Amino acid sequence: MSFREKTAWGMGLILILAGAWYFAKVVSVSQALGHTSPPELSFFIGYVILVVIASITVNVMLAAASGKEANAPADEREKAILDKAGHWSGYLLALGAFAGLWHYGWLGDGNLLFHVIFGALMLSQIAEYAFQIFLYRRGV
Amino acid sequence: MAQRPPITNCVKALRESHGQMSQAALAEMIGVTRQTVIAIEQGRYSPSLESAFRIARAFNVGVEDVFGWEEETRA
Repeated sequence: MSFREKTAWGMGLILILAGAWYFAKVVSVSQALGHTSPPELSFFIGYVILVVIASITVNVMLAAASGKEANAPADEREKAILDKAGHWSGYLLALGAFAGLWHYGWLGDGNLLFHVIFGALMLSQIAEYAFQIFLYRRGV
Repeated sequence: MAQRPPITNCVKALRESHGQMSQAALAEMIGVTRQTVIAIEQGRYSPSLESAFRIARAFNVGVEDVFGWEEETRA
């Protein structure tokens, strides 16, 4: 498994866990309030800190284990994979954004709009890593 | 999606006939990762024209001696 594929696995797992932590908090607050919780800055900052620290830790560990491969720039196949995965995940982000706007149009719930857009951003990032892994394994 | 390209190659055979050249050594010579050489050998990736020429030059043969179109090999 190449360094970049290992990185994709690591980052994908980090984003899944951090996203689950964030939305578990949002859901529990929403249940307590009886309506969609407003955007909570402390959750958002917690999520960002969690992702940044975990990303640095995992990438440093993988780079140390991979040696000079970690310093090598992406080759033509890897660049094609990164481009295609980014392109596909962009559609997911757009879909989430439209879903958020559609919900806002029907319900007028700005809090829900925020969570749907933020969730779409998280999902598109996770999907980007999933697409990368798929393309690394199946070919581009 | 992720269809196998109709381009065949004999990179593995050429590598083995050149003193059991390793995939890592070939990768280093043409400026790609070892995983990309593996993908080329397995037919999961068709290299760029530049890389195709680099591979051919690594074995001192022409590009057409390394790569072929699948219909040609079937015929």
